[in-house]
Amino acid sequence: MNKTLLIAKSEYLRRVRSKWFILATLLVPVLAIASLVLPILAFTGDDDGERLAVVDGTGRLAAPLAEALPAATSLETTRAPLDTLRARLLDGDLDGVLVLPADLVDGADAGAVFYTRGGIDPAGGVRRAVREAVRRVRAEAAGAPPAAVAAFNSDVPLDRVTVSADGDGGDDALGRFLLANFLSLLIYLAILIYGMLVMRGVIEEKANRIVEVIASSVRPFELMMGKVLGIGAVGLTQLVGWAVLMFGISLAAGPLLLALAPEVPAGAPAADVPFDPDLITGMLSPGLLAAFVAFFFGGYLLYSSLFAAVGSAVDQESDAQSLQAPIILPIMLPVLFLTVVADQPDSALSLGLSLFPLTSPILMVVRMAVTDVPLWQVVLSLALLAAAFVGVIALAARIYRVGILMYGKKATFADLWRWVRTA
Amino acid sequence: MAPVLRLDSVTKRYGQTVAVQDVSFTAEPGRLFGLLGPNGAGKTSTIRMVTYITTPDAGTITLGGAPVSPATQARMGYLPEERGLYRKLKVGEQLEYLAQLKGMALGDARAAIGRWLDRFDAATWTDKRTEELSKGMQQKVQFISTVVHDPDLVILDEPFSGLDPINADLLVEVIGEMREAGKTVLFASHRMESVEALCDDLCLMAGGRAVLQGPIREVKRRFGRDTVSVAFSGDGAWLDPLVDAGAVRTLSRAEGLATLRLADATPPRSVLEAALAGAAEVDRFEVHEPPLADIFRQAVAAADGTAPPVPSAAPTA
Repeated sequence: MNKTLLIAKSEYLRRVRSKWFILATLLVPVLAIASLVLPILAFTGDDDGERLAVVDGTGRLAAPLAEALPAATSLETTRAPLDTLRARLLDGDLDGVLVLPADLVDGADAGAVFYTRGGIDPAGGVRRAVREAVRRVRAEAAGAPPAAVAAFNSDVPLDRVTVSADGDGGDDALGRFLLANFLSLLIYLAILIYGMLVMRGVIEEKANRIVEVIASSVRPFELMMGKVLGIGAVGLTQLVGWAVLMFGISLAAGPLLLALAPEVPAGAPAADVPFDPDLITGMLSPGLLAAFVAFFFGGYLLYSSLFAAVGSAVDQESDAQSLQAPIILPIMLPVLFLTVVADQPDSALSLGLSLFPLTSPILMVVRMAVTDVPLWQVVLSLALLAAAFVGVIALAARIYRVGILMYGKKATFADLWRWVRTA
Repeated sequence: MAPVLRLDSVTKRYGQTVAVQDVSFTAEPGRLFGLLGPNGAGKTSTIRMVTYITTPDAGTITLGGAPVSPATQARMGYLPEERGLYRKLKVGEQLEYLAQLKGMALGDARAAIGRWLDRFDAATWTDKRTEELSKGMQQKVQFISTVVHDPDLVILDEPFSGLDPINADLLVEVIGEMREAGKTVLFASHRMESVEALCDDLCLMAGGRAVLQGPIREVKRRFGRDTVSVAFSGDGAWLDPLVDAGAVRTLSRAEGLATLRLADATPPRSVLEAALAGAAEVDRFEVHEPPLADIFRQAVAAADGTAPPVPSAAPTA
């Protein structure tokens, strides 16, 4: 058997059989879905309504306010002094106290005050309800007919249609943006995690001194590539495992969730539905999935060979910090541009970043998730990525074959460069 | 049939440092070749070129006439001075993997591993994780990994370090069998006594150069019989005038036993006469070749230019 494959197979089996791998493969999807589902469940479970007290200085706002607030909210109109209400709020007897000053309707600059125990918008919709109620009363006071007020408050839905070569789709822009985020984050994490795993493997072999025995049996390049490919296969296995598990859990849990979240109106736009497996599977075209795998593997090969080079240059993991910084930075860079690229996927900047090999693995997938990328761009990007990793692997291999035999002195970038030139 | 290892004017530089300079030697099949020298003499650098881990900057290395290459790697077994195994792997898997990397088919590897584990009383270790083994047991596993693919050239760097006497004896026995079987054995060490007892040929390295080489008997003969050992009773005060006068140099001196290297003009009998005159009793007196350790010191000093050159031509017997 080819020695690179032999090494890859050994690296692969050693890791796939480990408890760590099995645990991570099983637990991550469960945790990911739990983190998505639990807030929804908590939100729906805690829906016995907010208890608000309102001190209505105008005497005219309580009724329209009660109308504008969500039905589950109980509104108590009171004239109690503020410190009494404050005490009740602190006791948990109330969830919020709304103080509407007497001049709120007449004075254009007047504002209301809302007391809570903190949190992000703890009584959701209060701001909107107050605005709606005050506007209505002000409009009526100004003599506007009820029809005009109703017209002013009416809702006009805006349906967006995303145009693509495959046909026009419904408005799934938000879903696509989330998907782009999810996929790019997955590639980012996978490259980082598996790249570091390669580095750790190299350092371990070096610290164990087994590397000298191996180097007397195979070429350093074969050893490095075997390790990179074997761990890459571990990464693919894990990603596929996660995908299958997530998909399976979604299929099982999706309908259950929809049943548990009854307040989502039947006709609501798709993106408002918190969890809809049909929508996600609809956006995950086979082309996108293939590109995801190709760009993950290309990006992984590019970066993991650099991680291998860094690993070869140090004796222990803690020495690797300074040398790995220039590898981790370009991996993180695309994450900074993610929103920009997702927002304007066809700008020159986005095109450039999705072709440049150090950023393309993440950003091309982002573009593909949010828009229809011409095939030639995808192919060009992959070709550039392939060319880059051939170059980078050659560079890394030169550092690697010197580094694995160097002990003691901490290597600097100048050392690495000398190894590249002399090797 | 087992191939000759030949180094011809091999030089290796690391940056400004010359690790190995113009080294030539030949290790023959069926013989034990000792590569000696203090730490930093260039032994490991030399071995790494032989094993094709690194390549020389100048000179050639051939095994059986063919330059060293990935193909010759498969015919070599190398036990590095710094031992190392995969800690998490089971002993059996570990050995199978290392044997396969040497080009063995899995089935052959399993059979050979079984035989060697039996030989080392280790048949029950197959399913043990390597990290569970004691240091001595790991040494055995590593030795097996060196020879499991039946290499023509076996390179052992300090093979006895960390071995208890029983296992050291076992190793000596196995090395002897390999020599009998016509293998070439290259044995690197800085411990002269183990080399003196085992090797047929030697090459002494110091400062990256080969300062002395040849069959061990011949090398010793070159230095002449200028060493005496005296076993005596009573105190050794009779020695002091000889030492003070520069007639002898003390190699070792213990209660009732002294080994002395004679200065050029000192006849052995002058030491015997002094002993008879000064010691309570002389139990044994012997004139012999100097121990290798002292030859080594002399050769290194000569290479540094701090002592006269060592005799280079062997006197013909």
